[in-house]
Amino acid sequence: MLRRPSDLRRTGSGQAARALRRGRGGEDRGDPALRWPSAFVATEDDRRALLVLMHCASLTARRLLELASVAGTARESLGAVLSGRAGTESDRAWAARVDPNEVDGRLRAAGARLVAVGEPDYPSELLDLFDPPAGLFVRGSSMAGLEPRIAVVGARNCSPTGREIAGRLAGALAGAGACVVSGAARGIDSSAHEGALAAGGRTVAVLGSGIDVAYPRKHRRLIELIEGSGAVVSEYPPGTPAEPFRFPARNRIVAALSSAVVIVEGADGSGAMITVEHALDVGRDIFAVPGAPTTALAQVPLALIRDGATLIRGPQDLLDDLGLRQTTALTAPNGAAAGSGRVGLSPSARAVWDALTAPITPDGLARSTSLPLSAVLAAALDLELRGLIVQRGGRFERRPGAECH
Amino acid sequence: MAVVGVQGHLIRVEAHVGRGLPALTVAGLPGTGVQDARERVRPAVESAGLEWPLRRVVVNLSPANARKEGPGFDLPIAMGVLAASAQVPSAPLASYAFSGELSLKGELVGTPGILAVAIAAAGARLKGVVVPRSNAAEAALVEGIEVIGAPTLAEVVGVLKGRWKPEAASKGEDAAAPARSADVDFAEVRGQGAARRGLEIAAAGGHNIVMVGPPGAGKTMLARRLPTILPTMARSEALEVTRLHSVAGLLSGGGLVGDRPFRAPHHSVSAAGLLGGGSAYLRPGEVSLAHNGVLFLDEVTEFRRDVLEGLRVPLEDGRVVITRAAGAVEFPARFALVAASNPCPCGFEGDPRRACRCLPGRVEAYHQRLSGPLLDRVDIHLTVPRLTRAELMGSERGEPSPAIRARVQEARERQRRRLAGTPWTCNSQVPGGVARREARLAAEAERYLADAVDRLALSGRGFDRAVKVARTIADLERSDAVEQPHVAEALGLRAPTANGEVAPVG
Repeated sequence: MLRRPSDLRRTGSGQAARALRRGRGGEDRGDPALRWPSAFVATEDDRRALLVLMHCASLTARRLLELASVAGTARESLGAVLSGRAGTESDRAWAARVDPNEVDGRLRAAGARLVAVGEPDYPSELLDLFDPPAGLFVRGSSMAGLEPRIAVVGARNCSPTGREIAGRLAGALAGAGACVVSGAARGIDSSAHEGALAAGGRTVAVLGSGIDVAYPRKHRRLIELIEGSGAVVSEYPPGTPAEPFRFPARNRIVAALSSAVVIVEGADGSGAMITVEHALDVGRDIFAVPGAPTTALAQVPLALIRDGATLIRGPQDLLDDLGLRQTTALTAPNGAAAGSGRVGLSPSARAVWDALTAPITPDGLARSTSLPLSAVLAAALDLELRGLIVQRGGRFERRPGAECH
Repeated sequence: MAVVGVQGHLIRVEAHVGRGLPALTVAGLPGTGVQDARERVRPAVESAGLEWPLRRVVVNLSPANARKEGPGFDLPIAMGVLAASAQVPSAPLASYAFSGELSLKGELVGTPGILAVAIAAAGARLKGVVVPRSNAAEAALVEGIEVIGAPTLAEVVGVLKGRWKPEAASKGEDAAAPARSADVDFAEVRGQGAARRGLEIAAAGGHNIVMVGPPGAGKTMLARRLPTILPTMARSEALEVTRLHSVAGLLSGGGLVGDRPFRAPHHSVSAAGLLGGGSAYLRPGEVSLAHNGVLFLDEVTEFRRDVLEGLRVPLEDGRVVITRAAGAVEFPARFALVAASNPCPCGFEGDPRRACRCLPGRVEAYHQRLSGPLLDRVDIHLTVPRLTRAELMGSERGEPSPAIRARVQEARERQRRRLAGTPWTCNSQVPGGVARREARLAAEAERYLADAVDRLALSGRGFDRAVKVARTIADLERSDAVEQPHVAEALGLRAPTANGEVAPVG
């Protein structure tokens, strides 16, 4: 029933499929079958060498992998960098300057540890990537205990509705025992984490900054809560600042760590698209929550659905498709649950509710219900107080999940 | 005659022609504008075919302690000199007030503040005023005073010698015919019923209002039409407006200003421009020019913070007092505030069709600029959506302004009757505590409001505002008691909270 990425390759003609054909990392992708040597990090010396290597900015994961396949061990690789046989001048300068003992100290201070490739804790799913990181800094639990992992990602400048949907999806996943993966960014990302936390579930944040750097800064508390419930991971050594170019790289880890990716909202050009492309590269399932075609934030999900992603209308669709079952009762994030209609709804409020099949202005409501405008406005406030609808930009709309019997 | 603020003050002009080299000296604290008169008066006198005494001329303006400003002193100085040189009879001069600027050709040029001059002259029981002809209609608004509107200095002399009779200045009454046909009307507004309704409520209760919406939603168009549904001005109100506009030199064609003013200062306005001031000649600011009308602040977040803070006093007291070393001047400034703003810096937050491109932090900062003490004086918050073509096509033309105005006037009348014996005339002026006691909330409405206050986490101020606006809605609906639907509609006009969250049900 699930559409596989291979379907996308065959049939897709849209944006997602084009991105897929374009491939990541340019035309020359080298040998895709390149593997980390089994003894890359075999000794304590290797581990210390890896800590240094991970500071070398121009030594990307892929370049390090290529170097490792020749050098064999981390120590040899570092030797190659120091002697100028690999890497750039600045890599050499960094490699000479970084003191692994000091880095170790900073890791300990942040409550983080390095999980190197080849170690039992290293999430093997990352090896599906074209450029798997040589090591992952981890705060919190081991990935092995956090399964199944599902990514919930989307726009940073999302709508309140998107926020609510992300929270509900994450809450449902958490309630079904799944672990919610996201990027700890603003908008959909943070709502997903919060949704999972509020449901008492587990969640993993992949940072685009150093493992001890909270970005955005006001998410510091959120990131601590995530660490307590699941884990916070990053491929960047302590102290690395958050910079825009690191977020696409971060997204590949979000995608690889997850067995499926759910896209909630995204306008054209959204970073969510990058996560999807990586997810397709490593063969993960894509789910998308649709929106009205006229809505800017629905453009990415709709394009993905057109290209073969699975449409989900709400948490139940997602759980059904993933074969998960709700085990604990759902609690929506922040206790701000969408309400449900109950006795005492006035006839005019009822009429307004029935007319609200799409976001609509008070004028439009007055027209379609044949009620005077003042009655419509009063009824709308009533519905708003009951948590059934919200007002956004001068139009009323039903809250996702609100029901009226 | 000197004008300070909107107040006219009688100034006695004495002239002495004595021995010495030909010169003109003005004594008695003349400002720069009055010093200029020295250069203008002599050519004007000579152009009028009269003789300038080639001797030493001293003009004294008394009382000497008040600073005299403005060009209106040209005519009285000229008359003083002419009387001193026995070219006009001096007897009638004492019973007339003179004001007007002279050109070198001897013409009398339209001068600001003539209405204030005429009012002061009437107050001093003078027989009449002599003013430039283009200001005659304005001066004629004042009862019980003869107005001589002369086109040139020569004609003024003619009048005093009994050789020339000015045509009777048209009495202000014709010009004061209620509301000259306004060039805008609510009938031209398609859709935006909720915003129209919000403005009607604002007009009915005298409430200040904030409109938030993306560019092109029609915020300015709506605000511009608010004066057309406010109650028509009483003659006394119109006179106040005319006087202010006269002082500011904004009157064109004279006569009473019949339409409520609509002032929309640009957001680069300075504190002096908005509130009034100036270094020598104190001018009324935009708040006073909007007196009895509408002050529209578009892009309110772009105004300088200190300038906006200055609005608190006029919003509270209905007047501005400008204090300078030379003394304090008071301008009336009772206006309806309409502020408009984009929802975020890029303008598209909440618009379903265009994605907002602002960083969330910046949107929050923007909202914070919208809050603050100024907005504590705003009772009604409207969200104005940008309508799609389909929504525009589907909506019929709006109700014409006169029909809305009739309802507004009736609601105001109800308020006046209910508030008789209090210092207030409309709901917005009533202090919170009194409003709570006197609103006559129906029991059910009271329960509903109490419940809503909890769920919406309304502040005490927010609660008071909801009560006042609900009272106005009830007045519009001709209801003595405030019923539950009135409360519900009023709550819909509340200020949005930071996160727009409604607390959980039950």
